[in-house]
Amino acid sequence: MNLPLKFIARSERFLKIIFGASLFIVLVMGGVAYKYIKELSKSIDDVQHNYQVHIALERMASALKDAESGKRGFMISRDSTYLEPLLVSSSAFDNSLKDLEELTKNNPEQQKNIAELKIKVDKNIEIFQKTLELSTSNDFDSPEFIAAFREGRQTMNSVRFKINQMTAHENDVLSLAREISSKRLSNAPMLVYYVLILSLLILLLTYLQITKNLKILKEKNELLETFKKSTIQSEIISKHGNWIWHIEENIYEYSDNLYRLLGEEPQSFDPNLDNYLSFVHPDDVEKLMEHVEEMMENEDLPFIHYRIIQKNGAIKHFKAYAKLLVDSDGHKRLLGTTADITNEIENYRLIEKRNLELERSNKELSSFNYVASHDLQEPLRKIQTFLSRLEDKEKDKLSNSGKLYIERIKSSSSRMRSLIDDLLQFSRTNKSEEAFEESNLNILLETAKHDLAEIIGDKRARITSDSMPSMKVIPFQIKQLFLNLLSNSLKYSRENTPPAITITYSLTNASDLPKIKYSKFNTYHTITVQDNGIGFDQEYAEKIFILFNRLHNKNEYSGTGIGLSICKKIVDNHNGYITAVGDTNTGSTFTVYLPKT
Amino acid sequence: MKHTKLHLLLADDDLDDCDFFKEAMEELPYECNLSIVHNGVELMNLLESENSELPNLIFLDLNMPRKSGMECIREIKSSGTLSHIPIIVYSTSLDPSVVNELYEIGALHYIQKPAEFACIKKVIEKVLKIFKTDLSPTSSREHFIIQP
Repeated sequence: MNLPLKFIARSERFLKIIFGASLFIVLVMGGVAYKYIKELSKSIDDVQHNYQVHIALERMASALKDAESGKRGFMISRDSTYLEPLLVSSSAFDNSLKDLEELTKNNPEQQKNIAELKIKVDKNIEIFQKTLELSTSNDFDSPEFIAAFREGRQTMNSVRFKINQMTAHENDVLSLAREISSKRLSNAPMLVYYVLILSLLILLLTYLQITKNLKILKEKNELLETFKKSTIQSEIISKHGNWIWHIEENIYEYSDNLYRLLGEEPQSFDPNLDNYLSFVHPDDVEKLMEHVEEMMENEDLPFIHYRIIQKNGAIKHFKAYAKLLVDSDGHKRLLGTTADITNEIENYRLIEKRNLELERSNKELSSFNYVASHDLQEPLRKIQTFLSRLEDKEKDKLSNSGKLYIERIKSSSSRMRSLIDDLLQFSRTNKSEEAFEESNLNILLETAKHDLAEIIGDKRARITSDSMPSMKVIPFQIKQLFLNLLSNSLKYSRENTPPAITITYSLTNASDLPKIKYSKFNTYHTITVQDNGIGFDQEYAEKIFILFNRLHNKNEYSGTGIGLSICKKIVDNHNGYITAVGDTNTGSTFTVYLPKT
Repeated sequence: MKHTKLHLLLADDDLDDCDFFKEAMEELPYECNLSIVHNGVELMNLLESENSELPNLIFLDLNMPRKSGMECIREIKSSGTLSHIPIIVYSTSLDPSVVNELYEIGALHYIQKPAEFACIKKVIEKVLKIFKTDLSPTSSREHFIIQP
């Protein structure tokens, strides 16, 4: 349940990281694009600059050519209009040189070239003037003119050469710049492509993550919905209602069932304290208010019980519990649960009443039992004493039938005595936890045998027994158990056959207990008392443990029908089980199971 | 051994039982003085009156009107002048928890009243035999109950 929520929290962090990464990538991309555009525009500028230099150089060369061809035209035709370009070209040279100087001020190589060019151009113009002066004197054949003319052509050539050199240099510069920028720009499409792929990947990841989150949220929502429905159902079934009190805002929220508990339609009145208190039993209002005050301060308080009165007059018992919850923003809320415990209270009262009645009747019964048996003893004992006096003193005076009657009275009264003794024993066989002590069962068995020594001797009975471990029992009761089982075997022995009683001990797993489906304990001490007596029909196996149930006529056997009931009571007191198996041919077997603690 | 007769005091409200006791004593070959009182108040009055001679031994029934045997033992055992008198409880019932309590508070022996007259004689004889040799005998829990 917590894992997906943790996952969402983790994925929120993941999404934040992704968002940061995307932002970073976009910024980097922007930077890179800016850099490329800048590079491109610089390269365009370079080209333009180059052209301008070219144009300036071309213009200078053509001005030079114009001047030269004008000079030649004038020399041939003596038409001074041919010299017009000369006037223009001088200033054109200057302008072109100035332009060039301006354009190449960042290029020291070209500056040097321009300086050289300027000297050459000046020299050329000088020679030009000289040849022009010589030509005006019409001295074309003078060696002076011819030398000047040649020199003029040479300087002209050297100027042209210089211009060509400069053009070539400028081309070199341009191609170098182009090479660099094209190198730089060639990586751009690849980079853009990679970044695009990366962005798509990130987008895909984000999409997957969000879909996953949405799916989890949907599942959570469905779970919440189910949970809400089950809460509503449990509220109705277990008769409780929930409420929330936003302490600072003093706003209450009551669940539908809380209204139903008050006997009202859901959300039929404003959920607030005053409205609620109008239902509370007047005697309990103060108590409830005190508790509400305490609730605001203590985080955890015990349950509070109070009563409410529904509009139809029915009084209901409520039990409420609330817990203070402070959320991460410091808002205090009280989450409460109120349950209608009217039925429980009524049941509890009924049970309490019945318990008291039971306790009283139990007490009465046991004191009746005890007093009856005890008080019956006294007159009976006296009857027996008087009988013995009568026998002692007056026996000779009695007729034979009188003596017989005395015998009958004697046997009746001794039977009554055993009944009373056994009943007393039965009523005293109670369970008390203090009476349990670690006891040696072998000793308890020996004590029981000792008590029966006389009858054992008379009947020449043979008793064999396994060694038994010590266990925590009520010693006198276990002794009584042995006593009753042994005397039972001795009593119901076969005529003319000495009783043989075998006591065996073993451990039994709870699952192997006969007729017991569920047991609190795992293992049981198992004590078996087997005899070779008259046995009994297996159909009475259950009946023989019931008080006053006898299988034989009292003339045949002297049983009171209490002995085995006492055995059962003793075994019950020890949380054990006793079973009997009878066979009219072989005898009876009593098995006692005592829990191994 | 003292030559004075043993002085026994029987406290029992049941007249038949008193008769049986008296008859049993008479049939026994012991010379004893037997006084009888019929309830606890009478017993305590007798013991506490100044001119009375204190008995050597008290046979005490438990279930008596006005003041029970148990109350009498507590009073006697907590009294400076009477606590030395040996008390033998002589009762109809035999409740182990009551027997234990009596032993704890200082009774000397416990006798459950027998049904057979011969047995009554036997238990009284057993007691008298003890007192024949020792006037202030002691007993253990093991031999607390005297049986015929």
